[in-house]
Amino acid sequence: MSERVRLEARGLVKRFGGLVAANDIGFDIRAGEILGLIGPNGSGKSTVMKLVMGIERPDAGSVKLDGVETAGWPSYRIARAGVGIVFQHSRPLHRQTVLENIKLALLPDSLLRLAAAPGVDERAREIAHAVGLGDVLHRHPSTLPFADLRRMEMGKAIARDPKVVLIDEPFAGLTAGEVGAFSELIRGLRDQGRAVLLVDHNVKSVAALADRVLAMYLGQRVAEGTVDEVMRDETVRRVYLGGTIEVVERRGANAEVKPPLLRLEGLSVFYGKAQALDRVDLDVREGEFVSIVGLNGAGKTTLFNAVSGLVPYSGEVRFADRVLSGMTPGAIARSGVVQCPESRELFGELTVRENLDLGGQHLAAGARTDQLAWLFELFPILEARQSQVARTLSGGEQQMLAIARALMMQPKLLVLDEPTLGLAPVILEQLSKALERLRESTPITVLLGEQNVTFALPHADRVYLLEHARIVWEGEPAQFAAEMGAGYL
Amino acid sequence: MTSLQILVDGFAISSLYALAAVGFTLIFGVSGVLNLAHGGIMLVAALIGWWVAGETPLGVYGGTVAGIVAGLLAAYITYFLVVRPIQRSSAIAHEEKEIFVLTGTLLWGIMIQTGMAYIFSDNPVTMRPLIGGVVNVFGVRTPRNEIMIAVLCWVVIGLLWLLINRTRVGKQMLAASINPRGLTLLGFELSKIYLRVWTIYGVLAGGAGVLLASFLGVGTANAGQLTASAFSIVVLGGLGSVSGSLVAAYVVGYLETVTAYLISPTLRPIPALLLLVLVVYVRPQGLLGRR
Amino acid sequence: MTTVFGPRLLLFIAVFVLVASVLPLWLSAYVLGVLTTAYYFGVFSMAWDLLFGFAGEVNFGPTFLIGLGAYTAALLDNQFHLPIPVTVLAGALAALVGGLLLAVPALRLRGPYFGLVTLVAVLLLQNAIVIFAAFTGGEIGMTVPDVLSIDPKVNYWYALAFLVICAILLFGLSRSAIGLILQASGQDAIEAQALGFNVTKHKLAAFSVSALFSGVAGAMLIFYMGAASVGTVIDIGIGVQIIIGAVLGGRRTILGAAIGAIFLVVVTEVLRPLGQLNTFVVAAVALAVILFFPDGLLGHVLRPRESE
Repeated sequence: MSERVRLEARGLVKRFGGLVAANDIGFDIRAGEILGLIGPNGSGKSTVMKLVMGIERPDAGSVKLDGVETAGWPSYRIARAGVGIVFQHSRPLHRQTVLENIKLALLPDSLLRLAAAPGVDERAREIAHAVGLGDVLHRHPSTLPFADLRRMEMGKAIARDPKVVLIDEPFAGLTAGEVGAFSELIRGLRDQGRAVLLVDHNVKSVAALADRVLAMYLGQRVAEGTVDEVMRDETVRRVYLGGTIEVVERRGANAEVKPPLLRLEGLSVFYGKAQALDRVDLDVREGEFVSIVGLNGAGKTTLFNAVSGLVPYSGEVRFADRVLSGMTPGAIARSGVVQCPESRELFGELTVRENLDLGGQHLAAGARTDQLAWLFELFPILEARQSQVARTLSGGEQQMLAIARALMMQPKLLVLDEPTLGLAPVILEQLSKALERLRESTPITVLLGEQNVTFALPHADRVYLLEHARIVWEGEPAQFAAEMGAGYL
Repeated sequence: MTSLQILVDGFAISSLYALAAVGFTLIFGVSGVLNLAHGGIMLVAALIGWWVAGETPLGVYGGTVAGIVAGLLAAYITYFLVVRPIQRSSAIAHEEKEIFVLTGTLLWGIMIQTGMAYIFSDNPVTMRPLIGGVVNVFGVRTPRNEIMIAVLCWVVIGLLWLLINRTRVGKQMLAASINPRGLTLLGFELSKIYLRVWTIYGVLAGGAGVLLASFLGVGTANAGQLTASAFSIVVLGGLGSVSGSLVAAYVVGYLETVTAYLISPTLRPIPALLLLVLVVYVRPQGLLGRR
Repeated sequence: MTTVFGPRLLLFIAVFVLVASVLPLWLSAYVLGVLTTAYYFGVFSMAWDLLFGFAGEVNFGPTFLIGLGAYTAALLDNQFHLPIPVTVLAGALAALVGGLLLAVPALRLRGPYFGLVTLVAVLLLQNAIVIFAAFTGGEIGMTVPDVLSIDPKVNYWYALAFLVICAILLFGLSRSAIGLILQASGQDAIEAQALGFNVTKHKLAAFSVSALFSGVAGAMLIFYMGAASVGTVIDIGIGVQIIIGAVLGGRRTILGAAIGAIFLVVVTEVLRPLGQLNTFVVAAVALAVILFFPDGLLGHVLRPRESE
């Protein structure tokens, strides 16, 4: 295909403190093609998109638009040069109508034009109709359903008449039917001769649309080529699935069926218009290790936040026969449900020891010392680094600290959200061993949310699969490996 | 002779500024609030302290205690009736909450100032010193009261340091200033922590107000200037940094004293304001700030 | 014109202008005086609302701009006896320059820092005036030899005309294409940039317009009152009054700001027998509005209505 190259990126590097979010990333996008950029969360896809759009400045590397170097330009200049972006989260102007929102995208960046040019109104209406918003021109965004807000974002992007369109995770929160409609719109952009960069971690949706795919992991380029080539690539499969799925025979798995320690019934959560959880039912029995697997955006974090009392929800959450709604998050944690969140929420400026001590403040002094000693055995590296400031630890060490700090509270139920995110395989081994020891030596119950299935399955007594806000599968690890393994990616 | 005088007076003033500023920083660091009613709270403590000392048989010591209690009450009103309702209001958009709290505390500060002026009139008042007598420091005749104030300020600041860095309660407050969500996940109730911080703040501001009254005197017209000095110092030192506030308090205190002695008393607040403008443009996070 | 102003609004404006113009036939000089001052404050608040409501920047020291305009005009009149229109123009330019000097670096600052800088600017101006008391009359203030008129009726009509013209200009600006861009810049700067707008440029423009109107209004107020002093045009309390007027009337409505300011000035005057306490009452009412009606009393009335 000898269509001309619209966007040329070479050697892009971006560091945030010690974290290298993008390391020597380069690609071409031609007119009339869709390049898919995939990778698990934390791989650097969004950073790359922001670098191209000028929302972040690259530390090194170049971005050329039709041969003109744009790296380092402010984002409005890049926009005027012909790059449009559809953000992951809709950004409507709440005080303006749909028509006004689209009109804005058609206005020139001038201080002197008090009135819009005559054709602007007409063109805005055309675009609104083209994306399916013809009936809601005069409504305000807060009254519109989620999918319409996404349509409006597409409308604004189209209005800019861009040469290159960057689309960030367009399908999150959409129903299957809406995904189809949106895919049509995106194909339309390509057929109009624009260059499209489509970023998503949902590999299936990207696979259906993209002409070529670039896979990223931990800021690095991992594979590039056609959709099929990349999907079959060994490294890509390992990075997404974590490798071949092994199943360990759980000892005494069927021995006693204990009563449920945690029970979720009809749990639903809405973020504004978007439905993050749809009538989820879930049980965790005492002493069990339950894994919830699912890709990012499926709703795992939302589920855990609902259990911890951090987001409002409808439905029921029962812990040890107590209904948790109405309790403050602090009270829920004290009652034995301790979450170690994806973002870890460490006290960066305090030392390792201080972080751990804070976790153990509810315990008596003697119990605290004992617990600390046990945790240092479990995670020896933390003992070695106890006087070090938490912010300066490596990613793996920070994750261990977060888990250890949660364990200082002697929880009955430990909720772990994506502990393997962004960690190197060596660290995963250590975490895995620690979880194993935890299981063998304590009566603790664990609810683990992971997209890395290889990590999650060996520890699980039971598995739930969460997809697009719903539980779509439930059963034992062996069954999961058999039924879902191949099709998971 | 003058330079020694400046040294001694500057030290006392700076210590007092440090006490007032540390409270302001604490509230911002932990509670996230820039309290523009700060001067008003100090004013209430000073006036009530003066009144009780003069008009009741409780005398100067009783007055001091009464003043601090009054400061504490004013701080509580600021938190429970102004700051917290705005922070919890569902009618205000999240991004606008900070501005509304700022405006709310500004208005409450004006209410205090005009209310106090109505009750006590505009005239500045001075409290009788807690300790009488004069002492020679480096050849400068200094009232014992002034020395005691400087010492007291440092004792309190020292106690505060001990509290934050060596006690469980203090560590919680420190953690709250770094990551409130982290604390919630560890089972702490943020509302209790905020209550503690505002209590400490009320005592600090009340104490600073009473001491100021016995050292330089305080009038309703000062309330705005006091708030301005406090936030100048805190921004200079770095919002949220207690050590930064301490350093900045001495910088500002000495700048003002030097100006008052060597240039003119009316120009007293100017150098600090100019320094503030410079810092905000060149290094907005202040000398030692981290945010 | 009708698309920007809407038939209902045009009617309202027409009725207001009509009624307001004939009031001098019945009202005493004292009441006219209060209203005259109120109208100038209406312009102060509208200028503030353009900056806050539209560009999203909180100016805690609108009196910095007003004071620059007022004192420049007063000084030029006192020292050089220039005609009033020239001094007013000079005042506007002084406010513009001062505003840009303040805004260019300040716009780089986030949230509370920007507000603090605007407050500090007022304090600095206040101190500067006190220091150069020889020229400015310091805290007592100075008188100006020229005034707009000695007839309270004529002063009233000057103020009314000024208010209406400014209202039309500012409101028109707020509903124009530029107004839409300003709203975007204030609500979501990143999105505005992604749509190709140089947000800094637009915010500076909003600041300049706010400064110009504030400067002119400040100068005109001086020539109405015949005197300039810190307490009438620079004091932080005056600034707070302007902000509260805009919040009371409903932010982002321009016209609401004017109505809120007028209402506030009238109420403050009505409460004057309370003495010192009137500021207390006004501040208390303002606090109550912030707590219970953050959208202002007229917010939902004057907002563009949704058509279903």
